[in-house]
Amino acid sequence: MQSTEVYLAHFVSLILYIGSLIVWLRSLVKGGRGSDPAVAFGLASLGVLIHVYALILFTYSYHQLPLTGIGPSLSSLALVIGLALLGTIVFGEGRRVGIVVIPVIILLETVAVVLGVEPSFEVMDFQGAWFSLHVMMAFVGLGGMTLSFAASSLYVIQLGELNNKRMGRLFQFTPPLVTLDRISRVGLVTGFVTFTLALVLGWFWTISFRQSLDQLNPKVMWSIMTWFVFFGVLLTRNLSRMKPQRGAWASVLGFAVIVMSYIALRIFVSTRGFFL
Amino acid sequence: MIPVAVVGVSHKTAPVGVRERFSFTNAEALALLESLRDYSGMTEGVILSTCHRTELYVCSGSDFDLIDSAVSALKRKAGDLVGGTDQYLYHYSGMQAAEHLYKVTAGLESLVFGEAEIQGQVKEAYNLIRNSSTDRPLVGPILNRLFQSALAVGGRIRSETPVGQGAASVASVAAGLARKIFGGLENRTVMILGAGSTAELVVESMERNGISELLVSNRCLGHAQKLASRFSGRAVHFTEMSFSLKEADILVASTSAPYTLVTLEGFRDALGGFREKPLLILDLAMPRDIEAEVGGEPNVFLYNVDDLKEIVDDNLLNRKASIPVAHDIINESVSSFLDWNQTLEIVPVIKDLRESWDQERKNQLEWLWKKLPDLPEDEKEVVSGFSKRLINKLLHEPVSRLKKGVGNGKGEDFLEAVRYLHDIQDLASESAEDSEDDSVLGHSD
Repeated sequence: MQSTEVYLAHFVSLILYIGSLIVWLRSLVKGGRGSDPAVAFGLASLGVLIHVYALILFTYSYHQLPLTGIGPSLSSLALVIGLALLGTIVFGEGRRVGIVVIPVIILLETVAVVLGVEPSFEVMDFQGAWFSLHVMMAFVGLGGMTLSFAASSLYVIQLGELNNKRMGRLFQFTPPLVTLDRISRVGLVTGFVTFTLALVLGWFWTISFRQSLDQLNPKVMWSIMTWFVFFGVLLTRNLSRMKPQRGAWASVLGFAVIVMSYIALRIFVSTRGFFL
Repeated sequence: MIPVAVVGVSHKTAPVGVRERFSFTNAEALALLESLRDYSGMTEGVILSTCHRTELYVCSGSDFDLIDSAVSALKRKAGDLVGGTDQYLYHYSGMQAAEHLYKVTAGLESLVFGEAEIQGQVKEAYNLIRNSSTDRPLVGPILNRLFQSALAVGGRIRSETPVGQGAASVASVAAGLARKIFGGLENRTVMILGAGSTAELVVESMERNGISELLVSNRCLGHAQKLASRFSGRAVHFTEMSFSLKEADILVASTSAPYTLVTLEGFRDALGGFREKPLLILDLAMPRDIEAEVGGEPNVFLYNVDDLKEIVDDNLLNRKASIPVAHDIINESVSSFLDWNQTLEIVPVIKDLRESWDQERKNQLEWLWKKLPDLPEDEKEVVSGFSKRLINKLLHEPVSRLKKGVGNGKGEDFLEAVRYLHDIQDLASESAEDSEDDSVLGHSD
């Protein structure tokens, strides 16, 4: 019964996210005019709220945080990305990055629901507050990267529109370059800092419990690679301040590398049921 | 038939020299409408007077010739014109008048197709007359409904179609580009090279969006100072132009120099390397002031006059592509205005029908009270109540069907049948007959 409620709440939030995406797309077709952006953002906010409820229900039902096991982890990651989207409200028109962020959330939550938002029986070396902090900071890092990717994608599109001297619906819908650049930078810096802290915490506790770091563990491999991607993107941005489009492309490609490597590791290396 | 007519003159029918003769101030508009109401059969009226059009919307409760009165009123206003006034005036009546107002409000009849300002002007004209403190109101149910629906139609067309989308002038395209690059224009510095009229329009448009500083550079410092003072800006000597370029976020070039003022090399020298912040350059000069290669520099967005014109043309083309959808919305709205107008016609018939049946009910109750003189008062009340209920029940179905029939466009036939079957007089024809009788009497005198 409890499990049904968790699924039901996930399903409702998923419907709200899909509704939000539909309204974003309609808004794009209309060039961002009218109340559609506000409605889409409202639906996404409601989806996040229900999503929070779903994961609270999970925690109460199973007496554990939704941070282990692929279903709960992906759902939590989707929620963190959703919360990051809500944060874009301070950037005004910048909240339109929702048109890129929402599909990512939908994809993650759908996979989570399909694979099962149920507790994993993964044997952990350590649990407790430090572990939760480690995972949550890693999720915030990935959320920041997703936000940076979304803003950078729109930046590249808007730059193309400006350079090709087109002022169509895409141009009208897409937020100003300066706003997108700011969102991308905030997402990336926040993401890098929290992800680095997550890795340091992970390294420290693994060394404490196991005395050594298993470098062939897919989680470790992916985390280290992700950190280097983060670092590379930040470096590119800082070295090419005169050419912000290069920084935007770096964010887009960095995100793609992280996602592709995750999928590759899951398919070829990882064990079923684990986050990685 | 909708008892509305419009007579007007617009940019499509008359040049500005003629249009200004038809222009009304608020006081003049009110005075004319009051005079039309007092001395002709007009019951309601609104005057829309803008730079590009003057239109007189009138409505009458009877059959008098609305258009003739309105035309005469406008002719009096314009006075004598070479070749006569008729050649400049257009007029529509009934559904066409309603359709015309809907098109005007949506901007489909505007000089700049789809512009939004007209919506506000229609609202202002309507509110002026509606809120005027004349002894009798100049706007009644019909024009109230017509103007409110026109404003709703205008809003709907703008939100459901791209009719108002995309900038439609060089100045607004420039302001739109600046907004999409910098977000807001607050804390942005604009620099003008030269002092052309288009550059002035662009600066005006940007100033409305709150730029923080304006620099004006011209070969003649006096001209630069004059323009700078108009916009509370700062004049910069032409020789110092390259130094000021570093400060600028937006550069508007519109000199009449016969050669390129800013070459790629000169631009790089002026900046002393690459720019970190974006620079929007609008080269409105002919020949161009800025070398095209400057547009290839990082963080530089260069648009020349052809680019801007092309964007304007594209936007106008997009706006015009929405005409079929806009017309569908207008047709739908005209049709629902017509339906509403037809329901107005049945109100007096239903009222008369009810009164006639109620009178008959009272007559029958009088007869009954005489037959039953000992009937106590409380029982009389019960019987009276029952009679009312019975009449309401009996009339409910026919009245509902009558309303539906009118809604389906069979209004005239159904109303005629009800009048005939229930012996209800048509007040309009009755008054027409009365006036005919009067005239016959007058002749015989």
